[in-house]
Amino acid sequence: MGSSAPAAEATARTGEPRVADLRRRGIADRDGVLSWLLLAPAVVYILALVAVPFLLAVAFSFSDVTGGDPSFDWVGLLNFERIFADPVFWRSLRNTFVFTAVSMVFIVIFGKVLANILIADFRGRWIVRFCVLLPWTTPVALSTITWLWLLDSVFSPIDWVLRNLGIIQSNMFWLGQPTLAMISVIAVHVWRLVPLAAVIMMAGLLSIPKDVQEQAAVDGAGYWRRMFEITIPLTAPVIAISALFGAVFTFTDMTVVYVLTRGGPTNETQVLASWAFFRGIEGSDIAQGAAIALFLFPLLLAAAIAILRAVRGMEIS
Amino acid sequence: MRISTQFDRRRFLQATGLAALGGTLVACAEDEGIGAGGPEPTQPAPTGTFTEPASPLSGSLSILMWSHFVPAHDTWFDPWVKEWGQRVGVEVTVDHINYAELPARTQAEIQAGQGHDLILHISPVPQYEPSVLDLTDVVTEANNRHGEMVELCQKSSFNPTTGKYFAFAPAWVPDPGDYRKSLWTPVGLPDGPTTWDDLLRGGTEIKNSQGVQLGIGMSQEIDSNMAGRALLWSFGASIQDEAEQVVINSPEAVAAVEFMARLYNDAMTPEVFSWNAASNNQGLAAGQLSYILNSLSAWRTSQETDPEVAGDIFFSPALRGPADARAASHVMYNWIVPNFAANPDAAKAFLLHYADNLDVVAWQSKLYDFPAYPDVVPDLGKWVGADPFGAQPPDKLSLLENAIEWSTNIGYPGTANTAEGEVFATFVIPNMFARAARGEVSPQQAVADAEGQIVPIFENWRSRGLIGTGGS
Repeated sequence: MGSSAPAAEATARTGEPRVADLRRRGIADRDGVLSWLLLAPAVVYILALVAVPFLLAVAFSFSDVTGGDPSFDWVGLLNFERIFADPVFWRSLRNTFVFTAVSMVFIVIFGKVLANILIADFRGRWIVRFCVLLPWTTPVALSTITWLWLLDSVFSPIDWVLRNLGIIQSNMFWLGQPTLAMISVIAVHVWRLVPLAAVIMMAGLLSIPKDVQEQAAVDGAGYWRRMFEITIPLTAPVIAISALFGAVFTFTDMTVVYVLTRGGPTNETQVLASWAFFRGIEGSDIAQGAAIALFLFPLLLAAAIAILRAVRGMEIS
Repeated sequence: MRISTQFDRRRFLQATGLAALGGTLVACAEDEGIGAGGPEPTQPAPTGTFTEPASPLSGSLSILMWSHFVPAHDTWFDPWVKEWGQRVGVEVTVDHINYAELPARTQAEIQAGQGHDLILHISPVPQYEPSVLDLTDVVTEANNRHGEMVELCQKSSFNPTTGKYFAFAPAWVPDPGDYRKSLWTPVGLPDGPTTWDDLLRGGTEIKNSQGVQLGIGMSQEIDSNMAGRALLWSFGASIQDEAEQVVINSPEAVAAVEFMARLYNDAMTPEVFSWNAASNNQGLAAGQLSYILNSLSAWRTSQETDPEVAGDIFFSPALRGPADARAASHVMYNWIVPNFAANPDAAKAFLLHYADNLDVVAWQSKLYDFPAYPDVVPDLGKWVGADPFGAQPPDKLSLLENAIEWSTNIGYPGTANTAEGEVFATFVIPNMFARAARGEVSPQQAVADAEGQIVPIFENWRSRGLIGTGGS
């Protein structure tokens, strides 16, 4: 852009642009080329790190590729037949949906509550916002290891507090009992994703014109009526987006399960992503691991479409 | 004109920078102290040996290996292998990573067709057979030099179906029982339990009278896998037979599961379903567990961090059951040379040098690593009889002199094949025990369900030609 001023001067002097100036301006002024140039890094990134691995996973799922034998032999639907016959696969599939659905409900509720707190006007609001965001900004493996310690069967500080308050007599064994282990996994997902949902919803809340709320208040609408008839309808698209982001992150995550329980006890917390890893990498049957992982695809596709539609809806409004 | 204060920004940055540097140096020094420190050895270290390679070597050699559980080993190993490289004209580089990352890293290198020349795993890796060199020549030469390799190492590195040594297994690690003497003495077993019945009786009494439970894991982690197999073998059951046929669904296996259920109900808590690989060590060190199955490494760390705890931890051989007394090797070294290795000659020459110096390896690992060629370590009995690294009493490890008699490979009585590896990786055996122990299903059903998972895994690998009749 810096060259456009001298070029303009030259045009003004001679009355028509010189050929050399036109050449210099070439790429910068050709919208089609420039747009592709600017898009290229993103396209290369998506092709290399999303499209190629995805196509490879599809190909692997119809092959007999193993961790020690990368040669590709077509086996048709054999891997799918094997995983359908495996009860752990069905449990993993069920757990994946349960964890995602239950987490989503709590993420939306707590995210909304937290967003309301965050937009309130009080001293130290920025510090509170910073602290609230910490669970989201901390690397998931690191924060989950912290939870692993908090939920330890013997040394859990949570148990220690509950014991000293007289609420429990002996340790809870959070990760050793199926129901408690599932609750623990869901709780960590919720803890991790609520800040993201809260920030997205906070942005939505701040975009509601103040005079609408004030007018409703003057007309006698109480807090709950304003909440259900003004705030929630106006922020519904944003809530939907935060819910869908949370769903995608929960559905595809294996770190929380891998670090906290490794899918145990007795595979009660196993999810598709972790089971694909155990079968494919630890068990060295990459083809079967790929077939398991592919079951993540339909829901992720649906979620992506839903997100895009929601975003488009917001643009129209 | 600006007057500089006594403590301006520049000085503040200098001071904090120096403090940070000092802190880092202190931290580094402390890290080095763990494992590398401890009492001075009471006996002279072996000096090692060097044999000229059969043919001249050149180029470079890259090694990928785990970060040893006894950090002193790595402090010694890296300069040692580089010194060997200098003598034979090879430039050696060594990369250490966490053992849990080795499968993913190795598979990535195999898929990419490039990477390290030599990779050390700590469990049998028959699944890599199609992509690694046959090391029969290395094993043959090592056998010629040092006598026959011990059976559990041979069965952890050889595929009888294809006749190929997919790995070289020159060392292994015993998996004894670890117990707190102060807890077992009051129940009349100061030398610890020697049978599974002792464990049930004494463990129950300790839990009832002293409030401390046993620590036989039934979780989705490595030690629970070892413990479950030890119990199966001791009851005369196994996953496969010598011919690599699935035989898990047997009265002996059901009896073992029934026993584990009693052991859990009488002497344990749900803690054992939630463990990771470090949990039983932590519980024993904290006095929260009376008995676990594990190697020496955590106790060695305790020698430096908490000598009082180390003094109370003792070891016992594999527990005897109705049929046998048998424990899995805790670690099984598997060196592999991928097909893509740029310098396989140097890799093989180094493996022979490593086997020649197993006495140094055992010493530098503080008697954690045991030799596949006992003749190379003639002083092993003397060392474990009077621990050079400060055990109190000095003969605490003497039981390990005969550890080979009660130790065996994963896959016993067959070989450590790919199917056994996948059964191990998917925690079928700990879950079989856990489901019955929790009363979720009957022992018979737990065993039948485990068989239902194991058979397809065997069929899958059998169809790929990697397991067969076991050479029978």
